[in-house]
Amino acid sequence: MNHNHQGGLALIRATWLSWMQHRSFFFILAFGWMMQPLIFMFVWATAAGDQTIGGLTRGEIVAYYLTLILVNQITYSQTNWTVGDLIRGGDMNRLLLLPMSPLYNTLASELAGKVVYLTFVLPIVLLLTLLLKPAFNLTAVSLFAFLPALLLAWLLRFLWGYALALLAFWAARADALLAVQDALVFLLAGQAAPTLLLPPLLRTLAVILPFRYMVGFPAEVLTGQLNGTQLTAGFVAQIGWLAVTLLLYQVMWRRGVRQYTAVGG
Amino acid sequence: MMHLRLIRAFISASAQEEAAYRANFYISLLHSLLNFATGLLGLGIIYGQVQTIQGWDYASALAVLGVYLTVSALRGLMMGPSLDALAGMDGEVWRGAFDFTLLRPVRTQFLVSVRKWRLFALFDLLLGLLVLGTAVTRLNHTLSLYHIAAFLLALAAGLLALYAILLAAASLVFWDPGLMVGWVFDSVFQMARYPVGLYPGWLRLVLTWIIPVGFITSIPAAALSEGLSWELLGVSLAFALVLAAGASWLFRAGLRRYASASS
Repeated sequence: MNHNHQGGLALIRATWLSWMQHRSFFFILAFGWMMQPLIFMFVWATAAGDQTIGGLTRGEIVAYYLTLILVNQITYSQTNWTVGDLIRGGDMNRLLLLPMSPLYNTLASELAGKVVYLTFVLPIVLLLTLLLKPAFNLTAVSLFAFLPALLLAWLLRFLWGYALALLAFWAARADALLAVQDALVFLLAGQAAPTLLLPPLLRTLAVILPFRYMVGFPAEVLTGQLNGTQLTAGFVAQIGWLAVTLLLYQVMWRRGVRQYTAVGG
Repeated sequence: MMHLRLIRAFISASAQEEAAYRANFYISLLHSLLNFATGLLGLGIIYGQVQTIQGWDYASALAVLGVYLTVSALRGLMMGPSLDALAGMDGEVWRGAFDFTLLRPVRTQFLVSVRKWRLFALFDLLLGLLVLGTAVTRLNHTLSLYHIAAFLLALAAGLLALYAILLAAASLVFWDPGLMVGWVFDSVFQMARYPVGLYPGWLRLVLTWIIPVGFITSIPAAALSEGLSWELLGVSLAFALVLAAGASWLFRAGLRRYASASS
């Protein structure tokens, strides 16, 4: 693997500038990704009314979901789709010839995209915060633990998405798997409900599988839904899944490139 | 009569096109089943914690989900693909191929609305009707003839309103091909999956009468679960007709603006 950091940085800047030109398109995408958490925020908040559901008040539910919308946007992995297209379309050839790892190219789109999306999502979340009066009970622990949880979540989701996308080296139809993944993220990553409110079977699955650690976990951390043991267990699972995913990515990449025969270029 | 013959020809042409891509069949099947499962589980998770929300219990919310799946299937069967072929990305107006459509000796609005069919959506329709049927048996009351008639009329009004919105969104392509109002509407339409009663009051009003996605699913479902008054039914039908007339006017105004991009 090459380590041309300067080239990588230049690419990141160029990609960001080109993304800013197509803002409205990305705003619409970002709006679409916000929808599911927004729907479930309204539903759970209405259901809670003046009482609590599973120990959460209306304000706490709103706080959780507003955090979730931000976390979801920050960690959202586009590489799922774009890297697969690069491989199928044969554009991967050009990237393989550049004197740096193709991972930089993906990282460039990732960072450029994140900034564009956030210029849209951040104001909306702030507006909703003013309108809906969320109850954030921030403590030193939750604030302190949130940033590492968010960073780990982003790394995990990014690498996981990249590793899955590399399936395109072998199968032309890796999209099917991505559709299943989206459904699992919806159910288990804290979108349909905070992990605490899931029925027992789904809750166990959520705690074991990696999806909660990509989206829901940081939001649970910030809104103080977890006790000390749950917090530690969460970080252990997050780091464990990150290690597994890193290994998966390396294996897939080595094998994939070796058997990649490009069409066109 | 000619119109029916044309529709039959369009259906068979679309069926042949679809049959050429067999691998897509399994992907479509998977997507349909996932959509069905996540909808049901999402509702199950909510009603695992509460009995009723603002008067909507599990059975009546299930009826809304059933109507949503049914309406979405009918949209995917014909309205969606047809209007996409006109105004979607890489649609006729983008490519400059719309001239050929304009020259056909049929009313243009009819042609662009029924041209493309996606027969796989019939499977989605089946899933939707299955959910609707389950909801009706869980509602625990016998349906009178009035219930059923009101339901069918409200459903027709909802479908007409949906068609009007999609046509209006597609018509905007004549002003600016970059406007993706249809996509924004798709996102908002997700909200119609659950009863409008599950949303806070201000949003409920917006979703019923301003961006009437709740109108499309919640009112027909309410016709089954609690019955509609004559007044509300009449207002619904009138509302849908007004929307359809407005959309048709917008489409014609768009046609007049259209300056060919090809030849």
